[in-house]
Amino acid sequence: MKSANDIKKLFKNAAISTNSKMDETVLNKVLTAHKKTTNTKSAAIEPNIRRTIMKSPIVKLAAAAVVITVVALGLFEFIGTEGTSGVVWAEVAKKVETSRDVICRGRDVVLDSRDGGPDYTMNYLSSTKSRHDSYKGDQIIKTFYDDYNTKTVVFIDHGHKSYIKKTLERMEQNDLWRNPKSLVQKFLSHEHREMGQKTVEGVLCEGIETTDPAFDETNSNFTVDSLKAQLWVSVETGYPVLLEFEVTRSIGDNEKVHIKAVMDQFQWDVELDESIFEPNIPPDYMRLPMP
Amino acid sequence: MVEDRLLIWKFKLGNRDALRRIYEKYKNDLLKLAVALTNDVNTAEDVVQDVFLGFAKSAAKIQTRGNLKKYLVTCVANRARNRKRDQQRHETSGIDESNCIISDIQRPEQWAILSEELKLLSNAMAQIPYEQREVVTLYMQGDMTFRQIAKVQNASVNTIQGRYRYGLNKLRSILNSEVKK
Repeated sequence: MKSANDIKKLFKNAAISTNSKMDETVLNKVLTAHKKTTNTKSAAIEPNIRRTIMKSPIVKLAAAAVVITVVALGLFEFIGTEGTSGVVWAEVAKKVETSRDVICRGRDVVLDSRDGGPDYTMNYLSSTKSRHDSYKGDQIIKTFYDDYNTKTVVFIDHGHKSYIKKTLERMEQNDLWRNPKSLVQKFLSHEHREMGQKTVEGVLCEGIETTDPAFDETNSNFTVDSLKAQLWVSVETGYPVLLEFEVTRSIGDNEKVHIKAVMDQFQWDVELDESIFEPNIPPDYMRLPMP
Repeated sequence: MVEDRLLIWKFKLGNRDALRRIYEKYKNDLLKLAVALTNDVNTAEDVVQDVFLGFAKSAAKIQTRGNLKKYLVTCVANRARNRKRDQQRHETSGIDESNCIISDIQRPEQWAILSEELKLLSNAMAQIPYEQREVVTLYMQGDMTFRQIAKVQNASVNTIQGRYRYGLNKLRSILNSEVKK
């Protein structure tokens, strides 16, 4: 007589597989449904969290105290960056923006969990194209190519030997994480303060810091609880050496996500070979359809 | 588990790659579960497709704290039960359920491809009462506890354990008689 364990084994061994063609069809339907949802904002009235919180008299009082303290302490601190610094930040911004091609490394960590994502990404940027190689250990696991002239993106998933190629209607080159050429200007356009000097990887640097929540404007699906971003620029060359970014976001249902991102190993004003931006897709990789 | 939490978080932020990974990770388990519950490949495919479509539309409602697999398994169980209820409402022929044996003929547009063991198991499952079948399937295939199944079926844990015991005994005797044939 079959025991419960035998039946459990039968469940385990009873295999199922899927028809790959139908798989793509179903997945496309699912992705399309998701796309429609993300494009359509709910008609439901969202609660005004600020108004709800501010109903509490204690919170009101605490908020007033915080405002007074911030004004008293911060008035002298947030006065801009042109007065006392050895680095002229406006010139740094201009220099960075007019830099020819750039190479840098990016790392981001979700602090309260860890996924099987990349350890770091090497970014190669020209004025019209970019390439991003994501590494796990010393293996490239994913590569993104952006061509801003043709508005074409290519994403290669080396793990699954597949790729996606798509032409977009609109393509922004201003995303900080895609294009660090805009990062100094982005810092300067938000309230910021000087951090003085420190040595980063043997290079004497001067830094600025912002805690302005608007600095994290990548997505409107969450609110920023706290943010700290620091930019360190070489006193000698005037080019950025290190960017550190830490943010806590509320993503609804009292859930918070804490992210830390670092951008370093910059090589500014280099000349990259055009071939580095040409998508290199191995012939045995499968092209995935885009809905 | 940690990977699932991160996948849900990315999915909630609109990341399509995360949704693709969730789909790839769980589609086979969910199809297997749905086949065991419905004993009909067509219905099982519809149920799982509906679950994924519903999931894709509900990014705002999903909580990152929960167990993703159990959430999807519960969705499949609920949809399969609703389908069965709808079918019973529209049923006029009165055909015994146990006569509905999974066919060996494969449609060209068929999504799920079943192994012989799964066909055997599914046909045996179809011969036990639905509530017992659901308990056995959720416990064996969905990795749910009796307490969690009790919530799904809105019954006491004792009742669920009883259903499991009766269902398992019946399944055992059906499978034993299959072996003797």
